[in-house]
Amino acid sequence: MKGILFPHGVPEGREGLEQYRARGGYQALMKSVKAAPEEVIKAVSDAGLRGRGGAGFPTGKKWQFTREAAEESRYLVLNGGEDEPGSKKDRVLLENLPHLVVEGTILAAYAIGANRAYLYINARYDDAIKSINDALAEAKSAAYWGKKVLGSDFSLDIEVIPAPHNYVAGEDTAVLEVIEGKKAWPRQKPPFPVTVGLFGKPTAVNNVETLANVAPIVLKGADWYRGVGTAESAGTMIFSLNDDVNRPGVYELPFGTPLRYLIEECGGGIKGDKKIKAVMPAAPSSAFLPLEKIDTPLDHNSMRDAGSALGCGVVKLISTDDCIVEELVKIADFFAVESCGQCPACRMETNTLAMMIKKVQAGQGGQPILDQFGKILAFNKGKGFCNLIAMPGPPIESALKLFPADFEAHLSTGKCPAH
Amino acid sequence: MGRICLVCQNIDCKTRGSEQLTAELEKRIAAKGLTDVEVKPYMCFGACQEGPNIVLYPEKSWYAKVKVEDLDDITNHLAGGPHVQRLDTIDSSLKELIYQLLDTGVM
Repeated sequence: MKGILFPHGVPEGREGLEQYRARGGYQALMKSVKAAPEEVIKAVSDAGLRGRGGAGFPTGKKWQFTREAAEESRYLVLNGGEDEPGSKKDRVLLENLPHLVVEGTILAAYAIGANRAYLYINARYDDAIKSINDALAEAKSAAYWGKKVLGSDFSLDIEVIPAPHNYVAGEDTAVLEVIEGKKAWPRQKPPFPVTVGLFGKPTAVNNVETLANVAPIVLKGADWYRGVGTAESAGTMIFSLNDDVNRPGVYELPFGTPLRYLIEECGGGIKGDKKIKAVMPAAPSSAFLPLEKIDTPLDHNSMRDAGSALGCGVVKLISTDDCIVEELVKIADFFAVESCGQCPACRMETNTLAMMIKKVQAGQGGQPILDQFGKILAFNKGKGFCNLIAMPGPPIESALKLFPADFEAHLSTGKCPAH
Repeated sequence: MGRICLVCQNIDCKTRGSEQLTAELEKRIAAKGLTDVEVKPYMCFGACQEGPNIVLYPEKSWYAKVKVEDLDDITNHLAGGPHVQRLDTIDSSLKELIYQLLDTGVM
């Protein structure tokens, strides 16, 4: 299958304006500014585009809410914070296909009626920021943005904002705080950004990969787009594989492709002379899937039914040589460190879980401490301003259910069975 | 196992004076000759807005918004005096959660 975002395979170099135009680039914009903005929203809604930042929220619905909010001014924010450990997809898009991202951003701003867009990009991505700045300069001289886009009544200003690289700085409302010049702390919701967002105005915050899908949808139509993927998850998704496979990298696959295909055909299987024990389809915050579920289709519903999640597609493998307790120590520590600390419940939960799992690792606490994990998680459910408080739950609870022997080994000997 | 006084030392409670409270509490416990009581820092009880928090274990008494002026009453409790009711303001479900955790004996 030819990719939607990578029609010629994963791009190896940067695509300039002329190359992009030669394959239909900016035609979607030319077509759209002659029509009503609602047409763009309709195309994206009909295509069934869902957010690629992790939550999978319908993009058309988000735009409609933003457009319908009773305010004069609105904002569009491209979220390229990409702080999910191991995620590389947004970086590849920003660096190599900057015009695809820029055109999607302009179309989104036009759709919601925003005259100002912010491109929030991980500050460590020097090459991505340069690539986008160059693309913005090229696009501006072609009148794709600025005053009176392509001679229409639509004007758009765009600014690049370097994003701090802590985990929570990628959360939608933390993004808004940073753009406003404040600390990257998530806001309490509701209100959601679609009604009260940047500078108090309606704002659509969209992931880089989400916006990269917009120009192809507008150009080729919703029916074409729905021909790829599944009924509930249309189109493709870019997955990131890391050093635990033979061929790490990013892979664009239609939704619904079996997880096994990604790992074996794309990634070349688990690295070294090892066997897979479990897969984390959305590291580090999803439930582990046991090896028996390796044929689960990569789409939102199938992953949910299998007890896990798709997230933003960072797939991590756990080998039969790995101990799940050791993995949980790393995961729990990550969330304890990355909790911003503004919500007492999150601070207590993430720190307590990290401390508890280290006690288990050291062989202390016995069954009573294992019984406490679920209680700590249940107590804090639904608390906190953002979703970070819920993130250690799925890995911990699935590990306890699927791999009791690993916990037992630590608790009975105080030593790791894998080392 | 001896008795412990856990004093929250997360950043929130520290800004509310929990370090000074720890030092003062240690002094008063020593002055009363309570050699079986150890004062220990605790990372976070999840009641930051009610901090600083002091939890006595195994007594299972949780004292919130503790000020230096309250320490004599708390030390008195440790020496066999009455529970300090005015400082016992924390929600019972949170108390139960933390007490169960302490009951595992590893915290």
